[in-house]
Amino acid sequence: MARVLVADDSETILLLMRTRLEMAGHEVQTAVDGQEVMDTLHRSGGEAPDVLLLDAMMPRKSGIDALRELRAEGIETPVLIVSAHQEAEDATTPADLEVSGYVPKPIDFEALFITIEKLTAE
Amino acid sequence: MNPSLANRLTIGFAIAFALLAGLAVIGVGRFFQERQDFENATARSYQREATALVRLAQGVHPAAARERISAERRQRRQLRANVSDDTRDTAILVGAGLVAGLIGAVLLFGGLITSMRRPLEELVDASRRLADGDLDTRVKVGGPAETAALGAAFNEMAGELQREAGRRDQLDRMKDEFVLTASHELRSPLTSVQGFAELLMLERERLSPKQVETVEIILDNTRHLVRLLNDLLDLARSDAGRLAIKPVPTEVGPLIEDAARTIRAQTEAGGQTLSTEIEPGLPRVRVEPDRIRQVLVNLLTNAHEYCPADASILVRAVRVGDEVEIAVIDDGPGIPAEQLEHIFDRFTRGDAGLTQRVGGTGLGLAISKSLVELHGGTIAADSTPGEGATFRVRLPAPTGSSSQSPSPTAAESG
Repeated sequence: MARVLVADDSETILLLMRTRLEMAGHEVQTAVDGQEVMDTLHRSGGEAPDVLLLDAMMPRKSGIDALRELRAEGIETPVLIVSAHQEAEDATTPADLEVSGYVPKPIDFEALFITIEKLTAE
Repeated sequence: MNPSLANRLTIGFAIAFALLAGLAVIGVGRFFQERQDFENATARSYQREATALVRLAQGVHPAAARERISAERRQRRQLRANVSDDTRDTAILVGAGLVAGLIGAVLLFGGLITSMRRPLEELVDASRRLADGDLDTRVKVGGPAETAALGAAFNEMAGELQREAGRRDQLDRMKDEFVLTASHELRSPLTSVQGFAELLMLERERLSPKQVETVEIILDNTRHLVRLLNDLLDLARSDAGRLAIKPVPTEVGPLIEDAARTIRAQTEAGGQTLSTEIEPGLPRVRVEPDRIRQVLVNLLTNAHEYCPADASILVRAVRVGDEVEIAVIDDGPGIPAEQLEHIFDRFTRGDAGLTQRVGGTGLGLAISKSLVELHGGTIAADSTPGEGATFRVRLPAPTGSSSQSPSPTAAESG
């Protein structure tokens, strides 16, 4: 089972994600924007998350901005970008930022669990 | 500003008229003057002849008098001859004036026509370009004042058209932006609704049958909303020119089998027959497989949803010239002519009695049409009410892409 850090500006979505992920046996941390993601990663030490689930669009610091920042700091944790765009690929992710996958909204949790398992098995 | 055509004509005519009038006045004046001279000379001649006749009668120098008489008669003959010569000269003078005036007028008109022809031709060309949609078209403002004014008016009109098109484009962009943003914003609350409904369903054993049914209704409607949003997004992207396709040479057979597989579970459950018929050796088509599969699944879903339980649905692919035609043929209730006419319009759906059980968004065929046309193909529908409906998709099959694996496929399930 994996440690997952979920970032979304909607408390409701965070509650949903936490509930579903915990029901699937994952350990869940949450953040409301990109800055909180960075703060959590800096504080985490040895307990670093295995997977980051970042919403592409968040106020203050978006998931994309957080992704750019953490890659610049050399943090290699796999990142899944959650996007309300039907095809997140043509959203805003620059080609040079390595992303492990896109999760379109509404979220297909069964597919998400499989992706997380694959990412943490590697 | 150049002198106007009317001004030039007026000046031209004035000059020609003055020229003619001058010549005529000179000619007529000369004629009267000569007539007067002739009459005076003739009168003097008669006077001298009369004096000579009197002398002859008096017998004074009769020989000289006789000679005088005949001399005067000769002189009068001479005078008469001179007068007719002068009349002829005057006529020639007037005639020359007329001819000169005519030549002047012809030269004037010729010059005017030449000076107008080029600007007019340019205007005709520019109008054609404008009509063809080149809104940057402008003409050089030149030539006589009339064509210059026409040119200026044309440019003004073209400018107004361009501004209008700009405003329309801006409105279109705003509309597309709005739909994209709205469907994006709607997705987050939908995620919550669907997610929590699914959560409830995970604990269905703790719910009453009534509650399970309620949650199922919520989920059904949420999925319908998501489908509607996706369709709206597709259409907005298509309108905004953002629906990009990446066509690759694609085998038609597997594409059709793939689409049929997607729907087969539903047709079998509904007791319908779904079969495919693919002509051997079909050329490959240049399409983005996912997008054409989307079109085929949409057509098959429609056939499945609008046909009764015992209906047959056939997908047939044949070569037609440089194209491959994929037809989805059913023997269902068919489509009335007045609905067939608007079948590819947005939010057009089949018979209202059927829409209660048919879960479409009314956008499927509009999107299919957009997608097929994006591939350079065509889509058409025909139907005989009571006997069924046929939807034909034609896709370009560039030459030299003939299939290397002509495997005649025929699958059937009931």
